[in-house]
Amino acid sequence: MANLKDIRDRIKSVKAIQQVTSAMKMVAAAKLRRAQERMEQARPYSKRLQGVIENLLPDVDRGMLDLLEMREVKRVGYLVVTSDRGLAGSFNTSVIKKTELEIAEIGKGNSDIFCIGKKGRDYFKKRNYTIIEDHVEFWNELDFNHAVKFGNSIISHFLTGKVDEIRVVYNWFKNVGVQEISLEQLLPLSFSDEIKQYGNRIFEPSKEKIVQSLIPRHLNTQVWKYLLESYASEQAARMVAMENATENAGDMIKSLQLEFNKARQSAITTEMLEIVGGAEALVT
Amino acid sequence: MSTFQFEIVTPTRTLDKGQVNYVRCPGMDGSFGVMANHLEGIIALSIGEIKVTIDGKEEYLATSGGYTEITDEKMQLLVESVEDSDEIDTDRAKRSLDRAQVRKEKHSLEIDGARVELSLDRALNRLRVARR
Repeated sequence: MANLKDIRDRIKSVKAIQQVTSAMKMVAAAKLRRAQERMEQARPYSKRLQGVIENLLPDVDRGMLDLLEMREVKRVGYLVVTSDRGLAGSFNTSVIKKTELEIAEIGKGNSDIFCIGKKGRDYFKKRNYTIIEDHVEFWNELDFNHAVKFGNSIISHFLTGKVDEIRVVYNWFKNVGVQEISLEQLLPLSFSDEIKQYGNRIFEPSKEKIVQSLIPRHLNTQVWKYLLESYASEQAARMVAMENATENAGDMIKSLQLEFNKARQSAITTEMLEIVGGAEALVT
Repeated sequence: MSTFQFEIVTPTRTLDKGQVNYVRCPGMDGSFGVMANHLEGIIALSIGEIKVTIDGKEEYLATSGGYTEITDEKMQLLVESVEDSDEIDTDRAKRSLDRAQVRKEKHSLEIDGARVELSLDRALNRLRVARR
């Protein structure tokens, strides 16, 4: 039978852990609400912009813009979106696993990584992957300018021919309970083969100018979307993980309490037996 | 009068105007009007005023530029920002106008001249639309 004091100490420490996890859950829930709002406001715009581009591309000659150039894929750049902090269930590990699987296919030597978030950077750095850039510790003041900054450096990496394709691995926010790992090709822009036929369409000021200004804007919006989705997913994953942890701590406290009561009871019983035994010995 | 579907989408919100009669937008080379059965196309927009006629009633909005796509089904505006004439914060617009004017006069090397012009344009446009 375990020592009474040991059990009491353990209950105390589990209770302390429970307090921490439930506080973290609350913080994550508050952050999630804001992140979700922001993401949902941004979604229609990026979707529509994508729609416009998809409608536009069949009309466009790929030679018109370097960003549209299709090259033989020898080297691939990966934009990997993770978080700075852990304790969010499988949020980071699943992105990392997916990226590793992808990279294994094309070869470690043929891949460049752009790491967003500390967790991904630490992991890939330790394993000697080629990290071109990393961006960490910005999540708390996340705004559109970050997307522009990251977007520009990725775009220039593609334009200078260092990689022939850019792929993005991130957590797509389906709902609070479900975040899906998503792999998307960012560059060169691809579009579905079914070409909608358009009659006479007008482009003002000109088709070239529209393509030239629309596509960089589209890419920045895409990067912004990845950041927002991942941030909301992170908070949701952490909230769920911390809720589970709080619940588990509750279960643990319950069973420890039971064990404690049993131990206490048996200690009392032993003591009583001793007293009764002692008293009887005196009588006889 | 025939109508068409009109929507305004920005990175922070979506305004569905429903069926409208007429839309006037600020194009790069001057304003243009759109009515039902317009030719399809994609047109870049500059800073300026958008006028929408819904059921004979006129609405005015200020935008800071973007694109519009016109298809057979609908017309949609993809703009960076849009403000209804009665939700414009005129005090804020005035402040940014003053700031832009001061900067323009200073004309220092650190300040990007084109950016100052743009913010001046935006502030003037907001004030103009707010007076509607």
